Amino acid sequence: MKSADLIPRNALAWIIAAQLLLLLPHVLRLPLWIVLLYGAAFFWRLQIYRGRSAVPNRWLKLLFIGASMAGIAASYGSVIGLEPTVALLLVAFALKLLESVARKDGYVVIFLGFFICITEFLFSQDLLIVIYSAVVVWVLTTALIALHRSAAIDDTGPMRLAAVMLLQAVPLMLVLFFLFPRIGPLWNVPIKTQAAKTGVSDMLRPGDISSLAQSSDVAFRASFAREVPPVSSLYWRGLVMSRIDEGAWRTVSYFETPPAERRAPPVEKTGESLDYSVIIEPTQQQWLYGLRYAEARQGGILQLPDYRLLNPVVLEQEFRYRVRSWPEAALGRDISPWRRRLETQLPEGSNPRTRALAESLYRDTGNDAEYVQRVLALFRQQPFRYTLQPPLLDNNSMDQFLLETRAGFCEHYAYAFAVLMRAVGVPARVVSGYQGGEINPVNGTVIVHQFDAHAWNEVWLEDRGWVRVDPTAAVSPARIEFGLENAMREEGSFLSSSLLSPLRYRGISWINALRLRYDAVTYQWQSWVVGFDGQQQIDVLRGVFGEINARLFVGVMLASFGSMLGLVAASLFLRNRQGRHRDPALRHIRLLQTRLRRIGFDLRPGESPGAMGRRAAERFPGASDDLRAIARLADAALYRPLGSEQRGKMQRSLRRQVRRLRLHPGR
Amino acid sequence: MNSHKQAIDAAVAAVSTVLLGKSQPIRLALCCLLARGHLLIEDLPGMGKTTLAHALARVLGLSYNRVQFTSDLLPADILGVAVYQREDNSFLFHPGPVFTQVLLADEINRTTPRTQSALLEAMAEGQVSIEGETRPLPTPFFVIATQNPSEQSGTYALPESQLDRFLMRIELGYPDPGAERDLMRRGDLGGQAASLEQVMSVEQLGAIRDQVEAVHTSEALLDYLQRLVARTRAGGDVSVGLSPRGVLALLRAAKTWALMDDRDHVLPEDLQAVLGPVAGHRLVPGERFAGDGMALVAMLQQDVPVLAS
Repeated sequence: MKSADLIPRNALAWIIAAQLLLLLPHVLRLPLWIVLLYGAAFFWRLQIYRGRSAVPNRWLKLLFIGASMAGIAASYGSVIGLEPTVALLLVAFALKLLESVARKDGYVVIFLGFFICITEFLFSQDLLIVIYSAVVVWVLTTALIALHRSAAIDDTGPMRLAAVMLLQAVPLMLVLFFLFPRIGPLWNVPIKTQAAKTGVSDMLRPGDISSLAQSSDVAFRASFAREVPPVSSLYWRGLVMSRIDEGAWRTVSYFETPPAERRAPPVEKTGESLDYSVIIEPTQQQWLYGLRYAEARQGGILQLPDYRLLNPVVLEQEFRYRVRSWPEAALGRDISPWRRRLETQLPEGSNPRTRALAESLYRDTGNDAEYVQRVLALFRQQPFRYTLQPPLLDNNSMDQFLLETRAGFCEHYAYAFAVLMRAVGVPARVVSGYQGGEINPVNGTVIVHQFDAHAWNEVWLEDRGWVRVDPTAAVSPARIEFGLENAMREEGSFLSSSLLSPLRYRGISWINALRLRYDAVTYQWQSWVVGFDGQQQIDVLRGVFGEINARLFVGVMLASFGSMLGLVAASLFLRNRQGRHRDPALRHIRLLQTRLRRIGFDLRPGESPGAMGRRAAERFPGASDDLRAIARLADAALYRPLGSEQRGKMQRSLRRQVRRLRLHPGR
Repeated sequence: MNSHKQAIDAAVAAVSTVLLGKSQPIRLALCCLLARGHLLIEDLPGMGKTTLAHALARVLGLSYNRVQFTSDLLPADILGVAVYQREDNSFLFHPGPVFTQVLLADEINRTTPRTQSALLEAMAEGQVSIEGETRPLPTPFFVIATQNPSEQSGTYALPESQLDRFLMRIELGYPDPGAERDLMRRGDLGGQAASLEQVMSVEQLGAIRDQVEAVHTSEALLDYLQRLVARTRAGGDVSVGLSPRGVLALLRAAKTWALMDDRDHVLPEDLQAVLGPVAGHRLVPGERFAGDGMALVAMLQQDVPVLAS
């Protein structure tokens, strides 16, 4: 193989750099051996370059392929699924380097690199990842350019050229992004990752939420059309749990609901309404969060009979939805016999002492509403403690919690409260979701973190319907008023296990400012890029053009494509134009030079037009006389002292001569 | 004008009869003379430097003197000295060898800087000041200085600022084989220089010299000259570029060269022809062409575009 066909040294360096950069964001998801494999592949490839090792032969390659398939199957338990597939791709990427010696193999590696760059977005669409990927694309493009020139290893030419090329592509990218029709995917691959997602689950056991409270991940961001309501009133309903199964609260499924009960009873929309939109992080679940009473302002979102919102498909990526809520509306003023029975059920024989307590308390009060107050007063007066580290309960016994340990997190109180209600036949249920949030002063969005996860109750009262009761507020008013961090100040347990979270350091004002600023950018990113869907696209166009139709849409798209191309053409034309000379003689000579070059005549910059003409005359004997005449005319037009009239004549005859000239390649 | 070309060609041909196969250096030397410059010849002994100077003086009908520069030569030895006359109680000036039309200053680098600068001043001023009296030198006044590049011990190399006083620096070089064979056949021709016929009158010489300034330089040519100059000043390959005086010298030499070819306008070829002799000793090459001014000039000739890009 000729050395001209080999991957040049600088291109090899760029390819290896790109491979390293591509591997980096995947490292935490990959088994260690793949990372080691990369190291070994780089080392081997460098040894091949230095001539110390040979390229692996066919049998060795087959062995590698088999071994890595087996390795992936062993590490992931399967070779099917998102993560093993990406891992397989990465392994192939590393192995491909080993056999890439020729320039054409270099192309394969680089194009594979572009593909691998995209796979990162299957895991995260964070702004930082996008910036990182832009850098990776830059390095890959640099490698592609370096593959074409054998420059010194520290030559920065390819880098600069790649940067210029990518920047030139940006306008086209923007047009494609904002204007290309958003066609739904033709097929959908379930890309559920194996990584467990934190978030509220549809089962609630004591201890579930307190473990969630250790996470500072963002659950969702909400942006209100008008003023943000007080944080203490932000109860984001996610799940409504009406059944107790084996000590855990859970939701009632669609099939457990009799057909007549499957529609939400109508609600009289009274009072002020709130408009807001929510961008929710991927939960791998279906339910959506909203303030009561919430109705989706867009199609495709279901409302369940317990007035919560549900997305028909699992949320595998960030999802934006628009909601309108009527916080003062009464929910379910009439209760059906089925629902009353459902919402008062308790497992047979469970928690006898709690039942006894409930009955004694109920006897002292006149009605349900008063009984609710009585129970809350019990929480307030007895030495109940609000803690992230509650003692464990045997078999989720509420008897033990209410009468012995008296220390728990919100789910303990919600659980106990619902049991106390149901014990005396008052319909009550547990609602889980998030409470509160952090208002970002930068852009006014409400950031709701996982540690804002909360559980509270809804009690059905005559004439008032389902009323929200939060027993936690009775135990620890600070939790509702000032958030979890304040409530846990004494205990010091807030985010005690997430050392790296910037939230932990929000006492340091610049870190906090930076965090909030970044969150605002993330919000914009999510609402304008990640969440930019067909609806939003149409909204944008509508905002600019008013009512739109298909013809206008296509017109706008074609027009912007056209103007992009026009811009490029214009800039090329202008650049050419600048190269044109005011001196017509020079222009004619340039034309002659272009023609000569096309038929293989080498031009020399340090050659006068006359000398060039004479040299060409010798090279092309057929046109010898014409070329000599042109040489004379060119010298005269450029260098002789001439009046403007004479000069014009010279220039015209030069032009005529150049046009008339017939050149034939060869001698 | 046509007669000028004939006269010049005749002069070159006449000199060529005693200095075989060297018509290009002869033309350059003539060009230098016509452009009112002085010539520095840098070459080994025995290449025909003296013959060139003497023959040139003969064919142009000019007086000729030769001074061999040595380390003990004093300025007065060149310029002349005023000697006291007892008879009329006055000083009588005895002019030195500098009072001639063609002066061959042989091995100029062997004398002390003091004597060198006395000569160089005379070259620059066209006159000599001795004991408060200014005495004009004859016209034309043309100095051909020679330098031996191989012997360095005991010499005083001319500094760059002094090299600038010479319009051109040329090398004669070995004759080509044919010319050398001719030389072998005909023996030493140096002696025959004294017997050459004059082919050009001093008036004609003056007339040609007066026409040099009138030669036309078009905008396109000046653009090219500026590109050349800018390239020498751009750094990199050149550590000291061309000075404005060097630019004017280049232009004057190119105009003379064009005139010698009977043209009333300068072509890029004229600039290129005189670029080496005029700029070679004024430029200080950078690292890439260390010590090789001619390679640098060749690069300039090849790479600097003649036409505006």
